[in-house]
Amino acid sequence: MYLEVMDGKVTGTLPSMNHPISEGSLCIKGWNAHEPVHSQKRLTKPLIRKDGVLTEASWDEAISNVAGELARIRDQYGPNSLAVLTSAKCTNEENYLLMKLTRAVLGTNNIDHCARL
Amino acid sequence: MSADNGFEPTIIGFLCNWCSYAGADLAGGSRKKYAANVLPIRVMCSGTVSPHHIVKAFQMGADGVLVTGCHIGECHYMKGNYMTAKRIPVVKELLGFIGISPDRLMLDWVSASEGEKFARVVTEFSDKIRSLGPSPLKGRVHGRVKEESQASA
Amino acid sequence: MEELKKKVKQALEEGKIHGFLGLKADEGDISPFFMTKDNIAELEKLTAPDGRYSLGKILSRIAAQNPGKAIGVMVRGCDERAIIELTKASQLGTASTVQFGVACTPQTAEKCNCPQPYPSTIDFGEKAKSVNHGELLTKLEQMSVEDRLAYWMAQFDKCIKCYGCRNICPVCYCQECTLEDKNLVPGGIVPPATPVFHFIKAMHMADRCIDCGLCEATCPSNIPLRTIYRHMRKVMQELFDYVPGRAADDKSPLGTLEEGGRLIH
Ligand code: SF4
Ligand code: SF4
Ligand code: FES
Repeated sequence: MYLEVMDGKVTGTLPSMNHPISEGSLCIKGWNAHEPVHSQKRLTKPLIRKDGVLTEASWDEAISNVAGELARIRDQYGPNSLAVLTSAKCTNEENYLLMKLTRAVLGTNNIDHCARL
Repeated sequence: MSADNGFEPTIIGFLCNWCSYAGADLAGGSRKKYAANVLPIRVMCSGTVSPHHIVKAFQMGADGVLVTGCHIGECHYMKGNYMTAKRIPVVKELLGFIGISPDRLMLDWVSASEGEKFARVVTEFSDKIRSLGPSPLKGRVHGRVKEESQASA
Repeated sequence: MEELKKKVKQALEEGKIHGFLGLKADEGDISPFFMTKDNIAELEKLTAPDGRYSLGKILSRIAAQNPGKAIGVMVRGCDERAIIELTKASQLGTASTVQFGVACTPQTAEKCNCPQPYPSTIDFGEKAKSVNHGELLTKLEQMSVEDRLAYWMAQFDKCIKCYGCRNICPVCYCQECTLEDKNLVPGGIVPPATPVFHFIKAMHMADRCIDCGLCEATCPSNIPLRTIYRHMRKVMQELFDYVPGRAADDKSPLGTLEEGGRLIH
């Protein structure tokens, strides 16, 4: 898959016509892969909901918050009270890592991917 | 005739406001008998009938589509019906190629004073569609699509 | 190829063209690329491979960013036909093109089933013979209308609505696409409204398709789209003697209000 870049902005997606696997085809997510890149709605900083309001936070704070809550819920209600949804916008490797984290660390098989929605 | 099989076709008629719609009025007003299978849709010129309207009509279950406009040279918008005259044969070809008999689409010119012609055109076309039978798209249409488009209609 | 590179380089250096659009090979990967004088080293990778892209479509986007400028572009037979159509539809704005013609090899022509595998002026390569495999078209034309419906319904049912056929098509340029009209093609449903989706596409291609075959090449469901559009090209030729991509001063009979073809009186 190729991204069309014009003046430093990603403007379009093209399939790789001579790729041995995709043979020039893309699905609708692939064809629109460029759209989220410059989207205004993109999350660029961690936000934590404090008293009902999304508040900007540092990465360290956000990560320890998430880790703490996950551990709390797991300890209190058991690992199967957790579920993880991964994304088509991540790489294969990121999705793999999340799978590992879910099964080996959280201890649940509740993991799915948005492409199956 | 095959009328005895009880099949009454649904025909969508796109009638130009300035001629055939008035022609239909005249036919009714002068108590001409004609087949009641055509559901008329008034358009401002036969040239505004896009191929999309025609195929949508078929998709929603029409057995036939009739387009009528002013005679060539008499279009209210000068050359609107030139477009119709060029476009309809192309639409027919495409319908035929994807498997919908081109005979299910008909174009004719009917002026406001031709009440009698309107009655004849409608009756003849209804007979033809009756002999062709129900549209093969009926029942084949993607179920969910049908529900949705009817709900939004 | 060296000759061609030299020509392009010269045109860039003399300022005859502002930039150049072509195909390059990067470790075996073929992709389109656009370059200006500032990154002239890129030119070394210029190639005329088997793989193809919609250069015409990319050109129209570059043209929009560079009004009034001259853009160099590598053109094959199909690219030239596409640029003719885009010019007719005013999609290149005020930019002008300087075309560097590349004739395809007989192998490429065969692979693309190309009706004219060379542009009008050739700067690289030799004219290969036209290819015209139309077995499927002939077979379909000889079928009964019922069999044709069964055939196409089965094909259209495979469509995953990726819009790839539209996205890749060099002559699909509308800002607002009828295929995204929710009244005609309701959202969230696959396959998309059958046969409305494919009917609309075919109708829009009737007077525009330049028979490059990219739609069929990109379709993940292997729907023989090109066969429909080839049929439409035939219809346009028979009814109106109109062939898209033939000449920039041709006017589409479906795009003008003029008299044309056989008017039914
Ligand atoms: S063959 Fe397909 S991609 Fe090429 S011009 Fe025709 S419709 Fe567009
Ligand atoms: S490329 Fe094929 S699958 Fe994708 S929308 Fe077109 S016909 Fe459907
Ligand atoms: S106004 Fe009647 S066809 Fe144009």
